[in-house]
Amino acid sequence: MHLPPLNRPPEKPMDTDIDPQLVPPLLRLRGISKRFSGVRALDRVDLDVRAGELHVLFGENGAGKSTLINLVSGTFPPDEGTFHFAGDAIHNFTPQRARAIGISPVFQEFSLVPSLTVEENLFLGREVARSGVLRSGQMRKRARALIDELGFDLDPSRRVDDLSRAHQQMAEIAKALLGKIRLLILDEPTASLTERETGRLFELIARLKSQNVGLIYVSHRMREIRALADRVTVLRDGRHIRTLDAATSTDGELVELMTGRKIDLLFPTIAHEPDKLMVDIENLTLTDGSVCDVSLHARAGEITGIAGLVGCGKSELIRAIYGIEPTASGTIRIDGAPYESPAPRRSLKRGIAYFPANRIAEGLALSRSIRENASMTVLDLPAFARFGILRQAVERTRIAGIMAQLQLRPPNIERPAGALSGGNRQKVMLGRALTRELTVFLFDEPSVGIDVGAKLEVYEFMKRLVEAGAAVIVVSSELPEVLALSNRLYVMHHGRIAAELTGAEKTEQNVLSSFFRDHLTAEVA
Amino acid sequence: MSDLELSVAAQETGREKLLPARWLWSAILPIAMVVLVLGFASFDRGVLSSANLLNVAQQTSYLALFAMAQTVVILTRGLDLALGPTVSMVSVGTALAMAGAAATGHDPSAVLLAGLAVGFSLGVACGLFNGVVIAMFKVNPFVATLGSYNVAIGVATTLSSGRPVQGVPTLFSQIFYGGSVFGIPAAIAVTVAVGIVLHLVLARTVFGRSLYIIGTNPRAAAVAGLPVKRILITTYVLCSALAALGAIMMTARTGSGEPNLGGALSLQAIAGAVIGGTSLAGGRGGVGTAVLGALFITILSNGMNLTRVDGYVQMVVLGAIVIIGVLLDRLRLERRL
Repeated sequence: MHLPPLNRPPEKPMDTDIDPQLVPPLLRLRGISKRFSGVRALDRVDLDVRAGELHVLFGENGAGKSTLINLVSGTFPPDEGTFHFAGDAIHNFTPQRARAIGISPVFQEFSLVPSLTVEENLFLGREVARSGVLRSGQMRKRARALIDELGFDLDPSRRVDDLSRAHQQMAEIAKALLGKIRLLILDEPTASLTERETGRLFELIARLKSQNVGLIYVSHRMREIRALADRVTVLRDGRHIRTLDAATSTDGELVELMTGRKIDLLFPTIAHEPDKLMVDIENLTLTDGSVCDVSLHARAGEITGIAGLVGCGKSELIRAIYGIEPTASGTIRIDGAPYESPAPRRSLKRGIAYFPANRIAEGLALSRSIRENASMTVLDLPAFARFGILRQAVERTRIAGIMAQLQLRPPNIERPAGALSGGNRQKVMLGRALTRELTVFLFDEPSVGIDVGAKLEVYEFMKRLVEAGAAVIVVSSELPEVLALSNRLYVMHHGRIAAELTGAEKTEQNVLSSFFRDHLTAEVA
Repeated sequence: MSDLELSVAAQETGREKLLPARWLWSAILPIAMVVLVLGFASFDRGVLSSANLLNVAQQTSYLALFAMAQTVVILTRGLDLALGPTVSMVSVGTALAMAGAAATGHDPSAVLLAGLAVGFSLGVACGLFNGVVIAMFKVNPFVATLGSYNVAIGVATTLSSGRPVQGVPTLFSQIFYGGSVFGIPAAIAVTVAVGIVLHLVLARTVFGRSLYIIGTNPRAAAVAGLPVKRILITTYVLCSALAALGAIMMTARTGSGEPNLGGALSLQAIAGAVIGGTSLAGGRGGVGTAVLGALFITILSNGMNLTRVDGYVQMVVLGAIVIIGVLLDRLRLERRL
């Protein structure tokens, strides 16, 4: 492996006000802030990573972990704050400069080119060549040596798109370790590795630490944090909460710091009256494997929640019920009747509505009017169109009435949907729920991208639906939301149901423990 | 909540500021046309003669028909490169059918019916093929219609052995070229009628509404339960049927089935649609944009003919016009007008 001999930063002349005991950290961030189109992703965050230390970033989805590691990798610059690496102030940072000074990231989204082989990917942009001619023999030898040393079961001559996700993850790690490296960033690296491969990775991490490489490690898995971390920095809502020594902190303390949000939202009190079985799923598996052997049911008159981390398959599950993710096996019953090969049009006819998480991509035709967007799902009904001819007067009055009821501001339904704020866009989507007879409502991350006021209106809307006897399924990565809204809560993990919680069991602690429970059996299988 | 209201208010004022710009954008083409006409007229007074103006109107009506056909598919983010060869194929097929029916001694009305039936069937078949390949097999419209472009050229050339098909009955030309409705020449009358019907279809029917929604956001259309595949297939059939109608009108004008009739029409129809303001990104445009674009291109080529601009230079100009049209479309999208 081409790990560099430790290049310590040149010792600075001794400053009188600096404790001579203190070794300057490898990475030193101070007051880092970053905004994305008005949303503050990072708010004056400090972070120190020492050479030879494994530093865990811990926080919920959206806490700012990804933004922070992207900043450190040079993906985008901070809006404010200072960035020191090995004692030098860094400006105009880019991914190329990051690599040049020895910062090497391994992201969850792979940076491999699918049509190239593993070794071509390893040397992408730093090919070994003499007078313009590639020295593939030498590159192959070095690639093999590296992969052997890592102990990965990976053939460097295979094309990346022929590899499994686990093998792609190995190639990604190998790529990050090729060349000079002083700070390694790992973003949930074990997510697709088997136990054995995880073990090799941990050995490798230990070796890197002994060679004085600093590591930033993002993970939700308590067991890994316990096994690896020197220090843990907890982020919440884009802010630095606390940095703790891993050895002296408890799991409970970490989880509490991670979730200890101020109560900034009041949820409506919903009178759940579970009644008829409306959605009954047995052993459902999707073709892409994102949902595996899931059984679940939802009743009229209650909100059924599904919690889980991003990528656990919870969205895919309700999308499959609506008919936009293909199913491989299992049965779906709606109101007692089997529902085979679901499709959006037929779902709507059966009374099932789906509200997508990504309203821009899957919900709205932004340059079209609010009216057209709200009536999009009812063009098949005689009330809105007879013999294929639109009844525009009816459409105008119906949609205007619905939008007034939802308090769309301003109430002009002829404006393009693209001119609306996130909350008002969600109202246009909700308007669709009132245009036709529906009995099952599937909400995918209903409050994503909308402000607090609009969130409350969405919750009130669900309350009215349920109290009027509808079956509502809410999928959400925001734990407080799904805990407060649901009468029964499923927790999904790795495509399977990890827990079903009702009544007093429905607590944040219980949900989190199902997230973080070690799924040794699932992973080995 | 105040934040939200502020941001909405900001967007409102932003839109109001753009409003004059929006007027300017839609005025560009009419202004350009007036400038062109005056410019050509300064070279040749004949440009403004009533005979030439009627000629321009007739020419425009054919191209407008094809530009409308093209607009319908462009609205769904599609394209029909095969439109020109479809016109050639329909022309040859119609002429062959009528010549054959006349030769076997059928009466004149049966001969006309045979011609129309064969012509429209060929058009519909072509559209069905394009639509199925694009909607069901998810082939890129450019590639799919480039394929059928060659197929249609091959069929037209083979059926006609590459020569004009004679034997088109004079009655056919008398009706579809020489005929008139309330003194309006047949070609103009047909195009006006088709334009009105198509406008109503786009504005007032579920099908028309669906075209705009699919073109604006195909994914959202599918999630909202619109029958996207069925609508796409119908769209390509409609496009080719309109092309067949145009082919029949043009065959009546030439009096023979012409295997080269559609030569440059694919590009001209696309140019007409795009110059008129139909967005290649889908979801924007209509009968108005198609007619306006067709008128612009006809005025341009008519003026260039009268002022004796070389034919090959004219091709260069047409190509440049398409590129300018697409650039304008980009600018419009970037400014979100």
